[in-house]
Amino acid sequence: MKKEASMLQKCTKFAASLSACLVFVYVFLPLMTESVDVLNRMSQYLDVNGIDPTRYYYTDVEQVKEAENYLQTVLDER
Amino acid sequence: MAQTDTNIVIDHGGSSWSDLWTKEDYLAIWLGFFIIAVSLIAYFGFGPREEFAKKIEAASQVQAGEVAKSPFKTIAWYKADDDVQKLKGSSSAFGKFASHWTKHPGSWKDNPLDALVKSDAQAKALNAKAMPAYEEAKAKAAAALVMAQKAEEAAGAAAFKDQALNDEATAKIADWRAVEKKVASAKKKTSEKAYNLIPSLIGLCAFFIVIFGIGITLMKKSFTEFARGFVIVFLVAVLAYMLGGQAISKQYGFGAEAWGILLGMIIANSIGTPRWVLPACQVEFFIKTGLVLLGAEVLFGKIMAIGIPGIFVAWVVTPIVLICTFIFGQKIIKMPSKTLNIVISADMSVCGTSAAIATAAACRAKKEELTLSIGLSLVFTAIMMIAMPAFIKAVGMPEILGGAWMGGTIDSTGAVAAAGAFLGDKAMYVAATIKMIQNVMIGVTAFCVALYWCTRVERQAGRTVGTGEIWHRFPKFVLGFLVASILFSLIDSNLSVGMADAMLDQGVVRGGTRLLRDWFFSLSFAAIGLSTNFRELAKYFKGGKPLILYVCGQSLNLVLTLTMAYIMFYLVFPEITAKI
Repeated sequence: MKKEASMLQKCTKFAASLSACLVFVYVFLPLMTESVDVLNRMSQYLDVNGIDPTRYYYTDVEQVKEAENYLQTVLDER
Repeated sequence: MAQTDTNIVIDHGGSSWSDLWTKEDYLAIWLGFFIIAVSLIAYFGFGPREEFAKKIEAASQVQAGEVAKSPFKTIAWYKADDDVQKLKGSSSAFGKFASHWTKHPGSWKDNPLDALVKSDAQAKALNAKAMPAYEEAKAKAAAALVMAQKAEEAAGAAAFKDQALNDEATAKIADWRAVEKKVASAKKKTSEKAYNLIPSLIGLCAFFIVIFGIGITLMKKSFTEFARGFVIVFLVAVLAYMLGGQAISKQYGFGAEAWGILLGMIIANSIGTPRWVLPACQVEFFIKTGLVLLGAEVLFGKIMAIGIPGIFVAWVVTPIVLICTFIFGQKIIKMPSKTLNIVISADMSVCGTSAAIATAAACRAKKEELTLSIGLSLVFTAIMMIAMPAFIKAVGMPEILGGAWMGGTIDSTGAVAAAGAFLGDKAMYVAATIKMIQNVMIGVTAFCVALYWCTRVERQAGRTVGTGEIWHRFPKFVLGFLVASILFSLIDSNLSVGMADAMLDQGVVRGGTRLLRDWFFSLSFAAIGLSTNFRELAKYFKGGKPLILYVCGQSLNLVLTLTMAYIMFYLVFPEITAKI
């Protein structure tokens, strides 16, 4: 029968897993963004224009409203 | 069986009257509709409807006068339009109250605590830093306005009969509008305010304990056990919002949802989720209630936003890709789980996370299957969001074609807007609109999947399924979702465009139902993570079949969407493309 891990082992596992995720997102990704020109430009562009790529539904994204208004204006027959 | 129950996104058993107040599906409907009713009453009963009606009427009169005067949209026409766009139901007392008490940790760059607390001094410093850019943008807009006014006057002096002068005025006005857009973005950065979210988060947690706790009690489960464990689920969701609010994390699509699952899974698979937290991991209850609220955002009137080309790109290609991918998964790849197959197919072909949630709930998918589908979607969204605009630019594809292609293929709406914006304004407008039209499809998708599962997938061999049995098996919350969608679509179509935007979209939805829907999904992701075992998850990934399915389905999606977008925007309706 497999022996259950001690609390210390569990906490170490927790700290290691969490650290790996945090390092990937908050250290590796920023470094990659800074060193690759196209990613850096994209990062600045998103920041300036307030676009949030994590939002998954159209009501969460302000730019959809802007797009809707634009198309309504230009496609409006007159 | 208890273990099985927590794994499946649906309740069990036959129908009886008591189901109405004891079954999760119905309770999710009642809770969702209670929130919808409160929001509708608050905005339409006590909101600034009369005041808005007067302002919209005044703007309409100005616009009608301008339309009669000139063959193009004049500066006065746009200013009147801006006046209407400024009207937001959420700026009412109820809107401010709802927004204050449902606020989640926001964005930050260097210090995670900025997501929770911002001092007055910090807010002032940020505003001061952003002020020069705003002033510069304002100056440019003023200069562009002067040019536009001169051009319009020149066109007016020729009684708007000189086409060259009219074209010149139209171009100058378009330039002024483009600069005005930048002013609006710059202005937002000068409007930072001090906040401390800790008290409102404590209040919100208590509110959730009460509203979900009532449901839990009616389901004959322990309120105390739920309340105790819920604090941890809520804390994980708050932490997920904080981690997902970091600028770079957001850029690559790792938002609160991804962090909720990840953080929960790290806890569950390292130190282990404490047993007393598990009664609060009510994944299905949170998801179903969130989906009923999402119904209020599924407005069928939106599907005509870009005319017939949009319908073909979003509503013809999408179901073809969905069905073909599902059949391919069953017949060729031989996916071991039909539910995983349909969730990945819907997630990839319709609109990512929201479609995955709706489909998973409709077909009783397991939590691990939903997690896997969302994980795949997040990874491919991050890649496609960067690769597609780069490819489109490299091959010199027209902006509108590129926008339509990205809108129909990139999963999440935010990523579509980001990729589109990187290509250009027009690409962003087309991409975001195509995605919006596709978003509306999740109602139909959820309903069809639920019906197909009841009548075909879960049918015993050789046995026909009667109406009564379909009713027994049908996930009832899908009906709540559809009713909310139909109700809001009807309200939307019965109001003028200005009033629907100001009161329904910017009021009831963005200032009410959406605020809680966002939280409910975040809570469900945190709960999914806290109750997911890595080993269970790994089983579903065996042989890499989900990845193969996603890649093959997305490849078909890319080819069909591009072909359809080209045919619609460049061969069949080039006049629409020319106007954009």
